[in-house]
Amino acid sequence: MKLLPLILKNAFRKKTRTLLTIGSIVLPLLVICLMGTFLKALEAPDPKTVHGSFRLVVRHRVSMTSSLPAAYEEKVRQLPGVEAVSDFNFFGGRYRDAGARNMFMRAAVDPGTILNVFDEAKIVEGSARDWREDRTGCIVGTNLAAKYGWKLGDRVVLVGDVFPMTLELTIRGVYYLENGTSATLFFDRRLIDERFPSFKGSVSTIWIKAKDAAASERLGPLIDAMFENSPYPTKTETENAFRNGMVSMLGNVKLLMTSIGVVIVAVILLIAGNTMAMAARERITEIAVFRTLGFQKSTILALVLGESVLIALASGVFGILIFVAAEPTLKRLLILSPMSSLAATFRVYPEVLTLAFALAAGIGVLAGLVPALRSASRSIVDGLRQVT
Amino acid sequence: MSAAPPLIRIDSLVKQYTRDTQVLTVLDKLSLTVDEGDFMALMGPSGSGKTTLLNLIAGIDRPTSGRIVVGGQEVSTMSEGALAKWRSANVGFIFQLYNLVPVLTAFENVELPLLLTNLNRARRKKQAELALSVVGLTDRMDHYPRQLSGGQEQRVAIARAIATDPKLLVADEPTGDLDAKNGDEILTLMERLNAEFKKTIVMVTHDPKAASRAHRLVHLDKGVLKEDVHAERGKAVGMAAAVSASST
Repeated sequence: MKLLPLILKNAFRKKTRTLLTIGSIVLPLLVICLMGTFLKALEAPDPKTVHGSFRLVVRHRVSMTSSLPAAYEEKVRQLPGVEAVSDFNFFGGRYRDAGARNMFMRAAVDPGTILNVFDEAKIVEGSARDWREDRTGCIVGTNLAAKYGWKLGDRVVLVGDVFPMTLELTIRGVYYLENGTSATLFFDRRLIDERFPSFKGSVSTIWIKAKDAAASERLGPLIDAMFENSPYPTKTETENAFRNGMVSMLGNVKLLMTSIGVVIVAVILLIAGNTMAMAARERITEIAVFRTLGFQKSTILALVLGESVLIALASGVFGILIFVAAEPTLKRLLILSPMSSLAATFRVYPEVLTLAFALAAGIGVLAGLVPALRSASRSIVDGLRQVT
Repeated sequence: MSAAPPLIRIDSLVKQYTRDTQVLTVLDKLSLTVDEGDFMALMGPSGSGKTTLLNLIAGIDRPTSGRIVVGGQEVSTMSEGALAKWRSANVGFIFQLYNLVPVLTAFENVELPLLLTNLNRARRKKQAELALSVVGLTDRMDHYPRQLSGGQEQRVAIARAIATDPKLLVADEPTGDLDAKNGDEILTLMERLNAEFKKTIVMVTHDPKAASRAHRLVHLDKGVLKEDVHAERGKAVGMAAAVSASST
């Protein structure tokens, strides 16, 4: 403990360099926290399932781009354990422009049934009835309304791409989800059916709300078995698995993120190692003087290594604090991004923070080890001869 | 009545360095004793082995062969750990370039060797303040080295050297980086440490004037002891000058 003030003074001997080193560790640590949280969010259980709202998604077994007959909806509804069924059709298209800033989920649905499946959605402005009664009406999530400053009665123009048509919609309701992911625009699917009769009778996906966990587990295989030999075989999965499947279409996300994480750690290690080597090199004579005064090799090792670990731990703490502080903003940005479905499980995971802190500590030890060993083992006479 | 044993006894000391395949003998079968309370100056041309001898006496270098006994302990055979411990308790170092730690105040620099003792904080403070008062710098104890003049820095370095109250002080060109006035002040301080605080001092110097302040002058040339002159205090100026002249 007597050496701690000395370690502190040494660590902040060159403040600019130390702060830059801390910064060079903090920023990659933030990226690691972010990636780790993404991975955890991908793997985390669907909070809706946890809260008792057991949702399943039925899609074409071959591809997301293949449709299912709308008639399946009625067949599924008859199954025991099904509480509500609705279809959910991805519209795509663009709002204002094709930029990422204006990307949000636009879904063509049946206004009469969709809110039975997403029954946790609360209409906080307008009403579901107003929406049902206006064929060109739509409901939007609170996050979207806040982002674009939309109010009831405002017009939203969407230009389709898969469905080449222009939709002029009127906001009839604003909904809110407790998990904060209220960022979808729902409109009546009949608008598409009327414009593209060939689409009528088809659905992209069928969403089911099961009565309980047992029903949720049973229904998946049952539905898939029911349509196995039809021209439109199905794949039924939980909402969470479906969401992860959407993300995995980008590739092996987990492997990609882990690889990036490893590269980041290696880069930090090189930066921190170089800084520590530089710091130790500048103090060769000073370290020799310490040893002349009677400081043991082990003490020199502790001093140099302690400095490295201190800087790394300070970076770890800063990184974690910044990430925790930034998490609500990150979540808000995620909600408004095309990956908004991940937002429900995007939160601060203690295990991710622990990993980041452990990485910081490990970086401190590894970066300081070689300079510390070299400082401790250099001969005093050689050290005193060094011109610094 | 038998005479007190010398504080430093060196027998047949050899120090060689190997550069590639070449063996360089820096000290060649050197024998020397230094009595307790002595103030000895080591002179000689560059490369004569002065600093090497000083380092060996202080236990920061190892001899190739021969014995070095300081205060009854054979330092030439001690383990590295034991040697470090021994140094912290028995030797004070004064360097030409002061070698203070720039991020520590004068007080903290002086306290540095005391961190290796079992003294508590209050005792360390008392001891460091005492050492600074001996060198007349109690009013500058909160100053950093960059805020001190060269002479003051060297006085802080001397306070650091005496903080643990060692018997032996080794000084390598202690006035080499100072002007005449400051150099003189440092030598006066060293004389005082020798006379008043009974410190045994071994000082390497190129400066005949500095050497003249010592009681004894040892002249090395090519690793061999050439002259060993004991003088009355205050009468060594001519002696040092003569030795210096004879070596050139």
